[in-house]
Amino acid sequence: MHLWLGFAILALVLWGITGVTQKLSTNRISSERSFLWFCWAMVALSAAVLPFAGRNWTLGALVVVCSIAGGALNGLGAWTSFRALESGGKASIVISLISLYPLLTVVLAVILLGERLSWMQILGAFAAIAAAILLSLEEAPKAEPQ
Amino acid sequence: MAVSEAIPTTKRPAWLFWSLVTIALWGTWGLVSKIASSGMNAYVNQLLYTAGLAPLLAFVAWHVRRNEKNKKTDGRVAGVGWAFLTGILGGVGNIFFFQALVKGGEASVVAPVTALFPMVTVLLAVIVLRERMGRAQWIGLALAFVAIYLLSA
Repeated sequence: MHLWLGFAILALVLWGITGVTQKLSTNRISSERSFLWFCWAMVALSAAVLPFAGRNWTLGALVVVCSIAGGALNGLGAWTSFRALESGGKASIVISLISLYPLLTVVLAVILLGERLSWMQILGAFAAIAAAILLSLEEAPKAEPQ
Repeated sequence: MAVSEAIPTTKRPAWLFWSLVTIALWGTWGLVSKIASSGMNAYVNQLLYTAGLAPLLAFVAWHVRRNEKNKKTDGRVAGVGWAFLTGILGGVGNIFFFQALVKGGEASVVAPVTALFPMVTVLLAVIVLRERMGRAQWIGLALAFVAIYLLSA
């Protein structure tokens, strides 16, 4: 197995667990307060990983801007996803639609970074997006017997 | 009757707008994360990522302080605890995501693989929250494994 795939699967598992912990949180407090404490945890974690970051930082301007923009984009995305749900969108539809976001990453990476995908990987990307949509669908409640 | 009254105006729902904005923001996040990963390690990336999150943190803190001053506090400690744990797990997940990109994973492959995280959520919801899985979710779960295999090929 490729090393990068191992890390990607670890990210997938941890993010998957957050789906449950987030639900346990928003069952008790508002989504905004939950998001606030999510952010504070990020700050705490960043303080904890500071010793691992190394001392010799010779960073280009582009990578610094992209990294900071990454935090802003991801955080704003979480906020706009809450707005979508609060604006009356059905969770199953909104989350299914949002699950399409990797498609944009694929398109941008191919166009701007010149990445090339094999046919198997193209098929895999579509399968992944279809899987994410199917996983976010809620089962319709069964009709009560008369 | 005026023509404008006869033809109903179709207004796009707000949720659709916010959903499309979310796709744009998260889709672009995958790209900028790859560019950032080409010039720094995953830990520095996480530090700067948090810096990018800071203005939003300040805004949400202000908003919560203004709107939730007099709200009841039942279950707040547990809720905050779960939210904090969500942040820690999400942040460590971020570091692994950045590591995947640093170790040569392409954004066009790593993004779809990590976007499969609902498969873990669904499984845990069944085990921990005793929720039931529908047929679509079972198919989605199977398809997720197929996707990981194809993307890693």
